[in-house]
Amino acid sequence: MSEFLQNLLLGILLGGVYALAAGGLTLIFGVMRVINIAHGAFLILAAFITYSLWDVLGIDPLLAIVITTPIVFALGWLTYKVLVAPIRTAPMASTVLLTFGLALVVEGAMGEIWGNNSTAIRPSYGDESFTIFGLFLPKAQLYGGLVAVLVLAVLWVILTKTWLGRAIRAAAINPSSAELVGIKVTSVAALVFALGIAAAGAGGAITGILYPFVPGSHYQWIARLLAIVVLGGMGSLNGAVLGALLFGIAETMTSAYVSPSWATAVPYAIVFAVLLIRPQGLLGTRMREDTVMA
Amino acid sequence: MSATAPADESVPATPKRSFLEPIWIGRAIALAAGVLLLLYPLLSDDIYYQNMVILSLIFAVGASGLNIISGFAGYISLGQGAFLGLGGYTVGVLAARNETVSPWWWIPAAGVVAGLVALVLGFVSLRSRGPAFVIITVAFLFLVQVIAVNWVSVTNGTAGLTLPLPTWDRDIMNWPFYYVLVAILGAQLLMTWWIRRTKLGMGLIAIREDETKAATIGINLPVQKITAFMMSTFFVGMAGGVYGYYLTFIDPRGMFSILISVQLVLSLLIGGKATLWGPVIGAFLIEYLNEYANNDLGGGNIRLFLFGGLLVVVVIFLPKGILPAIESLLNRRRTAGKAGLVGARIGSGGSLASITDRVQVVDRTQIPDRPLLEVKDLRRAFGGVRAVDGASFTVPEGSITGLIGPNGSGKTTIFNLIDNTIAADSGEIWLAGERIDKLPSWSRAHCGLGRTFQLTRLFGEMTVLENVVAAQRSFSVRGLGKVAVSGAEARAAEELLEYVGMRAFRDQKAHALSYGQQKLVELAQILMLDPKLILLDEPAGGINPVLIDRMSEMIRELNSYGKTFLIVEHNMPFVLGLCDPIHVLARGKTMASGTAQEIQSDPAVIDAYLGDDFQLEEKKAVNP
Repeated sequence: MSEFLQNLLLGILLGGVYALAAGGLTLIFGVMRVINIAHGAFLILAAFITYSLWDVLGIDPLLAIVITTPIVFALGWLTYKVLVAPIRTAPMASTVLLTFGLALVVEGAMGEIWGNNSTAIRPSYGDESFTIFGLFLPKAQLYGGLVAVLVLAVLWVILTKTWLGRAIRAAAINPSSAELVGIKVTSVAALVFALGIAAAGAGGAITGILYPFVPGSHYQWIARLLAIVVLGGMGSLNGAVLGALLFGIAETMTSAYVSPSWATAVPYAIVFAVLLIRPQGLLGTRMREDTVMA
Repeated sequence: MSATAPADESVPATPKRSFLEPIWIGRAIALAAGVLLLLYPLLSDDIYYQNMVILSLIFAVGASGLNIISGFAGYISLGQGAFLGLGGYTVGVLAARNETVSPWWWIPAAGVVAGLVALVLGFVSLRSRGPAFVIITVAFLFLVQVIAVNWVSVTNGTAGLTLPLPTWDRDIMNWPFYYVLVAILGAQLLMTWWIRRTKLGMGLIAIREDETKAATIGINLPVQKITAFMMSTFFVGMAGGVYGYYLTFIDPRGMFSILISVQLVLSLLIGGKATLWGPVIGAFLIEYLNEYANNDLGGGNIRLFLFGGLLVVVVIFLPKGILPAIESLLNRRRTAGKAGLVGARIGSGGSLASITDRVQVVDRTQIPDRPLLEVKDLRRAFGGVRAVDGASFTVPEGSITGLIGPNGSGKTTIFNLIDNTIAADSGEIWLAGERIDKLPSWSRAHCGLGRTFQLTRLFGEMTVLENVVAAQRSFSVRGLGKVAVSGAEARAAEELLEYVGMRAFRDQKAHALSYGQQKLVELAQILMLDPKLILLDEPAGGINPVLIDRMSEMIRELNSYGKTFLIVEHNMPFVLGLCDPIHVLARGKTMASGTAQEIQSDPAVIDAYLGDDFQLEEKKAVNP
């Protein structure tokens, strides 16, 4: 029983980090109808940048988020302006291919800069843990999960409590009408894209402490994030959080009770099953296709 | 070569072509390339280039297969590489267990396995489209890879499988691989060509352009799509089998690498989707670049830069691919300085008498007094909104029935429920004594239902003629293999186009037409179904007064030939002058039914819809 609770706890902490990264992906999809396949690549890129900050300058990896996230934010903004904006009206499958291409380029760039060896960020508290009621609480996991929840909360406040958030939601619901009431949709879109990727960046900085990574890890990550977003309902932030928690738990449990090598199959199986059985996900709603088609 | 060009021999009156036309130059180039490909191993024994050509051939088969589902049917897949891998593994596993049998015997089995697995993906395509489908294909690829890693007893896991070495004379080296692959590619191209010129191919293109609409004009989506998926992988699996044998060693990382799928998608995109030769040209080009990056630039990360960068560049700058880009360039040169046809005057229309083999004037007294369409207690909710909330009405056989009501009263939704563009929550729909509410859209079309859309939905990339011929009046598996546009069909379609006044636009792409012109073509398209009941959604909306008159004239004339109509329309003079009976819809229910007179004087209808000041006669007086 305590072993089960232990796994549940680890799953929830992991879910918090997943929620942060997946929140960015779902935000981008919700506003722009772009499935950003490069999301995982930006996440790993942030992990590498954090690694360098920690390794070369000795900055604590969790504090380094303050530096990493703005860098990734800028990269996201640039990506939108240079690559995504020119094909905004193209079919959605085109943007999938485009961002997939971008993911490959980022993977190649990371391989050139940091090499293809397994990299790990190991802060001094990396091996320490708290013990509460007989349950282990690894410090890295706990701090990582807390920081993730904090960043996610900031994101949530921005989206629901500020003018920018309202503009973003308006642009998501009806871009042309939003334009008519004075929202510059392209600027909002660029901002959202950058914000979404920054969230992935923050998530990447945290996961760098939890797992070792290589440039090619981004495939596994995008599979996870897509599974989460698809599970929760594409475009729904609440759905992403719920999906992330469920997913974190499912992955930890499979790893503990089945085998770690099958745990890698969990995201793919989830994507497959959800898109077939309930394509709108847990919290997504199905749009009226007949009126949207126009 | 173009995706939308009709099969040459079946369309009458194509202008004579000179041998200096681009199409013949293209054919000469293809022939020369084919001969060169056949002779190449005899002329050169450079192993480096022979290897490159062999790999190019494999990827050409893969990309050409992908073309069938991505180019024709519009389902982009990043999982195509999995079928090369499955083919390789089929041969690898079978060869490891039967050491006395030559691996060549397992090559067809590789095709069968790939085809069967594609069946699964085909079923997936019934439930998800667009980006969701792309994601599923990626998940599919990785899932297959994870299985190959974990199913150690069969696949030997990450350690991989070693295939027997070739037993033939070292002098001929790679010739068997080479020529078997050339034969497989030949078969693949033949199949692609065949698909393109049959009903199957035409249906796939209709699915690509507008899947929901395709279903309403009688195209059987599941059979078409699943057939296409299986056909798109059979030869790919075989090529994968040869690939595995050629490599003599296979492992999950190599065989199910996402980069192979990317290479296939790139080949297709660069060469040109929905073209015959595009994927082949693309595959040779990309494989050359791949080898160049691997051998001269250091491979690894450079290869990622190359593929990733190319994918980005192609999507942004060359979305159509090389061949279509050349084609449109030639087209622009040919038509330079000529006035466009799309502005031509709409014809005044031919008489229906010219299509007497299809339609006959019916004696009014012979029409049985019974409902042709009967809708009982139909319901559909969108979340909490009950758009259709227990609507019941009948359409008498031989009538022109009107369906009116305020905006949002559920008229279009009822149309969508009747033709299954949206599934009803509950209720019954009877057409000519047959219950159709459990049938899919295409079967309803085959039962005699034809429907136009409020915002016209034509297949934009098809010509006007192809749009009309795309309608399928019945379905049979054998019918899929029939030539896409037969002479008789082309004649019938031209007559219908003549009738609606759009014959002059026969060879225009549908997206070039104006809204009003599209309405007329859409009418011709559903007439091709020879429907018993025609549902028209706002036939008079957004078109000029002359055309409105012509529209009601045509409706009357078609009605005299026995066609029954159900019309949704806001133009009251049009409805009241044409329709009897008229049903009035409010809040998703029928609130009144009757003749034009009865409706106009019904206080409830005036209150809910027409308004106190509604006076038909006065309006007519204002607009002479």
